[in-house]
This record gives sequence, structure tokens and C-alpha cells, in this order.
Amino acid sequence: METFDFSQPIRQSSKGILVIFGFNFYKFLKRFFVLLIAFGISLSKKNSFFNLTPTLIILVTSLILIIILAIAILMYLNFKFYVTKDDFHLNRGIINKEKTVIPKSKIQNVYIKQNLLQQIINVVSVSIETAGDDKSEIEISALDKKMALALKKDLFIKSSSVSAEISLEDDKKIFFKASPYRLLLEGISQNHFKSFLIIMSFFFGLYYEFKDYLEDFRIQERIENTVQLKSDTLMNFLITNLIVLIFVVIISSLFSVVKTFIVNFDLEVIEHQKRVEINKGLFNKVSLSLTPSRIQNLVIKTNRFKRYLGLYTVSVKQAMVNAKQRKSFVIVALERLQVSDLVQKLIENYNSKIEKYKPEWYYNRISAIEMFVMILVFNIPAYVIFGTEKWWINCILFPIAVGYIYLSYKKAYYQIDDDFVTVGSGVIDTTTTILEIHKIQSVELKQSIFQKRRQIASVIISTASKGTKIPYINEKTAIDIYNFLLYRVETQNKNWM
Amino acid sequence: MFSNSQIDINTIPSLEDIILTPISKQYLKIILISKIAFFGVFFIILFLAKWFIDDDEFQTIIPYAFLILIIIVLLNITLGVLAFKKRKYALRERDIIYSKGLIVNSVTTVPIKRIQHIEEVRSWLARHFGLATLKIFTAGESGSDLSIHGLPADEAKRIHDFISERVNGNV
Repeated sequence: METFDFSQPIRQSSKGILVIFGFNFYKFLKRFFVLLIAFGISLSKKNSFFNLTPTLIILVTSLILIIILAIAILMYLNFKFYVTKDDFHLNRGIINKEKTVIPKSKIQNVYIKQNLLQQIINVVSVSIETAGDDKSEIEISALDKKMALALKKDLFIKSSSVSAEISLEDDKKIFFKASPYRLLLEGISQNHFKSFLIIMSFFFGLYYEFKDYLEDFRIQERIENTVQLKSDTLMNFLITNLIVLIFVVIISSLFSVVKTFIVNFDLEVIEHQKRVEINKGLFNKVSLSLTPSRIQNLVIKTNRFKRYLGLYTVSVKQAMVNAKQRKSFVIVALERLQVSDLVQKLIENYNSKIEKYKPEWYYNRISAIEMFVMILVFNIPAYVIFGTEKWWINCILFPIAVGYIYLSYKKAYYQIDDDFVTVGSGVIDTTTTILEIHKIQSVELKQSIFQKRRQIASVIISTASKGTKIPYINEKTAIDIYNFLLYRVETQNKNWM
Repeated sequence: MFSNSQIDINTIPSLEDIILTPISKQYLKIILISKIAFFGVFFIILFLAKWFIDDDEFQTIIPYAFLILIIIVLLNITLGVLAFKKRKYALRERDIIYSKGLIVNSVTTVPIKRIQHIEEVRSWLARHFGLATLKIFTAGESGSDLSIHGLPADEAKRIHDFISERVNGNV
């Protein structure tokens, strides 16, 4: 392997100009998207825009491109970084010079990513994430792959244990690789309703953006003219609806499958001595590493259908990771055995085979009230719109509500031992949340006045990444758990990160 | 009741043994003042509407609007006063506890070890009554942060010093 010297200030690969240019150009397009569309439409209509001649337009366009290019070059020239024994240094900025120093110990994560443009010109981007707000995040947009890996390694080497870490790093093995077949299964068993909502919101967004232009083209009229709806017969009406429904289902599932493929393409979990690395993505290749000490919660998800196919999803919640990146910590299409292996790998000595405790029966009462409210919410507008005609809808809603109550109580449980809290929940999904007791940030006991009479309370356990609720258990038990957790946190001298 | 645990649950410090201190009675005045200021705005809007809008239909609604507003204000203030008694705190050797809420009561404990930093905030009104607010930040989401309003200023300072000494001592 080549060696790289990061101790002197260096620029990124000269291909970086292209990446920065592309990025800025994209940003420019995005910002003036609507304006450009308007421009294009008026151009196609009148063959001119504010009486500008085509030559002038070309001139202006090329001027804009040249300015963007010049900015890209200047940004590239002024972007230098180097690594010292303990810190990472970065100097950047064309007019406003900006100097950033990040202590190695504060680096949370180093991601290596590759978008489509970067894949074409064969460079990768490296982003360094620190504990703190997302403004302090740093991205080097174009580096040679080997150089990026060397830099990543360099950043993870703590000044004290240089040699030890290197020898450990070489010992790695691929722990899990998602095959296309399993990704396909995962895609099929996704929540298609969610995909449908995403598609809908996308189209509605577009529609509102271009409402005026669409009205210009009179699309609605044209559609109405071409599709002559003969809705006089009920049969025809049903068939049309059925076709629309099937179409929606197919599109939604297709979207789910394609999305799953793109996001998780070539998903690999690589096991290093001290950390676990995840690589995935088709257009945006993401590589990230998980350090067990930073993991705050593990969430394992499956549902009946997925369990039948042997598909489990593990989400890893790390400390101080902002919402956008948290999504990338999802590992899909794992098998049952792989899940328990991965959990073992990420949190040592976890034992899931201890006794499970259930919430009090009161839990069902709360679910029932929730369902009652839901049915009411459905019924009131239905009554206003249809009158009493469509009351049979409740014959469908009622069994759903009963099923909801039954399933959610069946799946609710909690386990506590000296080091871990496990909480099971879910209705359609089966969700298991695991947290380590020494990573708890605060504990809360919650009780409403109705619960006080029945001696029922909930315990909410917050770690740095999320709060987990043990719902509706006996008050005495809740207080015992409360005391126990605090005792464990306060008497152990373990750090939460 | 805990599987596989060697710790006897009866020997560890219990939440039930803690004596929680109520916050300063002065803070009730601040709550009332801010509530009056808040609802005062609505009353002013209604009065203005009564004087300046000539629509007859609209004028018939106004008495009802006043009635509803007064009921809301009375309910809100009663609940506020009752809930005020539930605002209590306690400082232990290793953690700080804050309890609040009338209809939904919650008792939150933050171990001092997990506190990232602590702020003592005194608004203009609070200074006038000799009160202070303690804001305690952990690394977690906003859900695990505590703010204790209406502490007597010297008490707030004492807790602030006690905690920051420990937080800095641990690092």
C-alpha cells in the first residue's frame, strides 16, 4: 500500500474542481429551478425572452458557467488540509478565510461517499463528523480512494496507540453481504403505503410548483377529453377504480423495490477488531464505521411477513448524529442468526434469554381509548359527508381496532438485567429496542392522575439518541426499576461515550 | 424481580425516601403575571373587535367569545395554581431530581455524572422576586434536559456551584 503524508498542507485531487463545479452548478440549478423553467417556457412560446437575442442568451449562459467555474477553481485552490499528531486542520474560504481545527478525539465518524459524478471521475468524498451541531461538519469532496482510506485510518489513530491500532485494523472479515435476491425480498416486504405517500407528496409538490404553467397547457382539459369516463354504469366505475388501485399498488411496490436497491446496493457489513464498518449505496456510495462505545440504542425490526422470509432490520443509533445521517445506520435484510451475532458484536455480553415482563392490563385500556378516538375521527367526517349510509365502514374498523389492541399488548414486554434494558413494542412491526444501562442520560417516572388511582406508572429512559418508554407497569415495580437504573448509572464509573 | 441481578433492590436508595422541596412561593406570582399578560392580549383583541367592527352578526358572537375566554382563563389559572404545588426538586449526592405536573405527573432524575453543562438564568421579572432558573443540559435529546424554574437565587447558586464542581471534577 502506498503511503501518504498528511503532515503538510495539501489540496484535494485536482479532479476536485470538477466535483465542486458540479456541486455548485447543481445548487445554482436548484435555486433558480422555477425561474429557469419559466424562462424555457416563455422562450418556447415567443422565441424570445425580454427581447433578448439568442446570441445574448448564449453569452449570458456561458458567463454564468464561467463564473461558477472560477468560483470552483478558487474554492479548490483555497482548500487545504493536514493532519498533525492530535488534530485535523483545514483552511478554506475565498474571501472569508476559515480555519478549522478538529481534535482527533472529537471525531465521531469518517464517512467515505461517492456520488454519480464522483464515480465517473473515480474519486471519493470524505466527510468528518464531530460531536456537536451539524455546522461543524466537514467534507473533502474529491480524494483518491486510496488516499481517502489512508486519511481515514490516520484520523482514527490516536496519538498514543499508533502501532497497535494498525495491526488490529488489518484483521478484518466480511461479516454480512446482502445478496440481490434478499434485497429484492426486502424491497417487496417494505411498507408500500409509505412509498405511496412519498410519491403522492412528490407529485403534489411538483403540481403546486407548476400549477400556473400546467394551467397554461390545459392538461386537465386534455386528459378529460382523451379519457371519456363512462361512469353511468356501476360496473364501469368499479373497474376504473380497480385499475387505478392496481396501478397505484404496482407503482408503489416498484418504487419500494427500486428505492431499497438504490439505497442498499452492495450492502456489506465488515467486521474489524474494534469497530464495524458498513458500506452501501448505488449512486451514493456510503461507507461508515460504528464504534461500539458510541452506540446508544439498537433497534431491531421485523414483521410477520418479513419474519417468514427471514428478514430483520437493525438500526443503530449513535450519539450526536443528526437526523439526516441517522437513516444511514440501518442495516437491512439480515437473517435471524446474523442479527444476534451483530448485536453481540456491537454490545458485548448481551443476553436476550432472560425473563420477559409484561405491562399491566391497563395498557389495553389506553390502546382502546386510542382506537376509540381513531374510529371517532373516521366517523364524524364520514357522517357529515355520507350521512348514515356508510355506517358499515365500522364493521371493518372495529375488527381492525380489536386486532390493534390485541397485537400491541401481545408484543409489549420489557427485560432488565444488570447491564441492559430491552423493550419490545410494535403493532404490525415487531420492534425490539436495546440500550446499555451505563449510557443512560436521565430517567423519568410518568404518571397521570388516572393512573395514580390504579397504581400504574411509566418509566422513560433517555440515552443520548432517544428516549425509550416502559409503558404502564405497576407503580411499585416502576419505582424499583427507577431506583435500580439510577443506582447502576451512578455507581459504575463507565463513560456514556 | 430483575433477572440475573446480584443487587438487592431493597438496599439501594429509593425514590420514595426522598424529601422533595417545593420551589419558591414567589414563583407563583411570576406564573400569574405571565398568564395575565398572555390572556390580556386576547381580552384586548376582543375589546378592540367590540369597538371597531360594525358587523351586527359579529357583535352577537362577542359576548359568547368573552364567556368562553373567561372560562378558559379561570380553568387555566386554577390548574396553574394547583400544578404549582407539584413543582418540587431535590438534590442528592449523585443526582438531581425534578418533579412536576398535576394531571400528568413526572419525576425526572439526571445523574450529575451525565450533566454536560449547567446554566443559571435570571429574567428581569425573576430578578425582581429574587428568583433564578437552573437549566441543566445532558448529552441527550431535549427530552432529557431539565429546567427548574423559580428557585430562590441563593439556592440556585448553591446547586449550580455544587454541580459544576462535580462536573468539572469528573472530567
